[in-house]
Amino acid sequence: MVIPSAPEWFSLLEFPFMQRALLAGLFSGGLGGLLGSVAVLRQLSFFSDALGHAALLGISLGLLLGVEPMAVLIPFAVLFALLVGELVERSRLPGDALLNVIYSSSLAIAVVLLRLLKSRGGSLEQLLFGDILGVSWADVIVQGGLLMAVLLYLLLTRRSQILGSLDQGLAVSQGVAVRWQRLLFVVVLAVVVALSIRAVGVLLVSAFVVIPACSARLLASDFNHYMLMASGLGAGCGVVGLLLSGLFNLPSGPCVVIVQLLVFLVALLLREMPSASA
Amino acid sequence: MLETVLEVRGLSVVRPGGAGRAGAELTAGADLAVENVSFSLAAESDTALVGPNGAGKSSLVRALLGILPRAAGEVRVLGAPLTRAGRLPAAVRSQVAYLPQQLSVRGRFPLSVSEFVGLGWEPGGLRLPWSDRGRRAAAVQLALERTGSACLARRLISELSTGQWKRVLLAFCVVRPRRLLVLDEAQAGLDPQAGEQFQSLLFNLRRSEGWAVLQISHDLEMVRRTCDRVICLNRSLRCVGSPDHALSPAQLERLYGQAFVPYHHHHTVPGGHSVRS
Repeated sequence: MVIPSAPEWFSLLEFPFMQRALLAGLFSGGLGGLLGSVAVLRQLSFFSDALGHAALLGISLGLLLGVEPMAVLIPFAVLFALLVGELVERSRLPGDALLNVIYSSSLAIAVVLLRLLKSRGGSLEQLLFGDILGVSWADVIVQGGLLMAVLLYLLLTRRSQILGSLDQGLAVSQGVAVRWQRLLFVVVLAVVVALSIRAVGVLLVSAFVVIPACSARLLASDFNHYMLMASGLGAGCGVVGLLLSGLFNLPSGPCVVIVQLLVFLVALLLREMPSASA
Repeated sequence: MLETVLEVRGLSVVRPGGAGRAGAELTAGADLAVENVSFSLAAESDTALVGPNGAGKSSLVRALLGILPRAAGEVRVLGAPLTRAGRLPAAVRSQVAYLPQQLSVRGRFPLSVSEFVGLGWEPGGLRLPWSDRGRRAAAVQLALERTGSACLARRLISELSTGQWKRVLLAFCVVRPRRLLVLDEAQAGLDPQAGEQFQSLLFNLRRSEGWAVLQISHDLEMVRRTCDRVICLNRSLRCVGSPDHALSPAQLERLYGQAFVPYHHHHTVPGGHSVRS
């Protein structure tokens, strides 16, 4: 493998598709990290994975109905999230087992449907791993707007999110409408996952939510620090991963996730070092 | 006559996960955790809720706080009715605090002690984290000092020992004016010395803050020494009265069964000092 020279790094930034991709990486990475910071504390990591897999089913339903897949995907993801959230809440089966049943079946049905429809919405690989280099300016603007909206939502509901993550009884006793807050969070998570699918892909979207938040959880010294760090790490990994993908001509989504993994391993190392845990 | 802080009338609670849907109206054959319980708490009182395992103590306190739905009955806090959906007016709710036996926190939780206590100070509703920052910081500092937890301010809550955590929970309660404090086995996990220190701190704070305290406990000796009233529960109310009356051998036999009383007498510490006024 040839290491690109500095001019090659800069020349890459002159391409409009690369500029869009970097901004999309910055926004979707930051968004995933920010929302993930709460999702991980609320033990919804596996839920975001199920949402990602189910999104493929939403896309295939859109294709089956002959409408723009994204127009079907968002309402489908929200409805799916609400139904599954309630099912997990009320079922007597362990949540992770139930989510496994749901996400693997959704993926199986979606792949069969897409094969029958001969993948009219793009290649299966693009859907599974995303095509961040193919995002439009409209996609970038939507991601940026969504990042601002989620930031405002989490700042305003910070107290409820933390108390709800600590203990439901404690949260209710302090006046938190735990059920409604949970439903709202699940809806926001579903919208973010649905809108990130094009850039990040079905299989890797949950990594954007979970990995930066886990790294920040290992290192942060308080909650404000934690949210900021999760979002910053998500955004940073998004940009670095995309640059590496462009330079070495490798798939973008997996490159970002590999960078996230490296950062997580460094965080794990720092946490396990005797001076860090002292 | 002191003000009534909590009033419970004919409260029934369906056993969570039992026959009949929790929150549904009371139906024939419903599996009840708590049946037709009535009592009230006056301001500045310290009441213990005792009974064997599975007697419905946690279900009772969770239902009267609106955490669990109730199947029948009425609950009033500071005169305001608790709705069927478990809601109280915000001004009343902010005067109630609940200390669960343990939190559902797993692993490292990135929340500092001062941030946690600050959540107790903040009123409910939507607000930006930097609103009233100065007032909140001053209230948190004072609450931590009053509970001997000032040195823990920057520690993460997931890294505290059980004794430290219980003190921080009391700081969470004392950080704003409260009227009703409900504790679910607050002494669980504490060694006898730490348990004694916790009760002493709770007693002092109750006196200075004028809290009405309702605490679930299995430590009958502690109850005898520190509480001024005892509620005996075994699904339904078995007795209410002073510790001397409610914890008499006859009442304990009714509550726990015959085998318990000799055991209890064998394990009590005679002449334990009283922190009651």
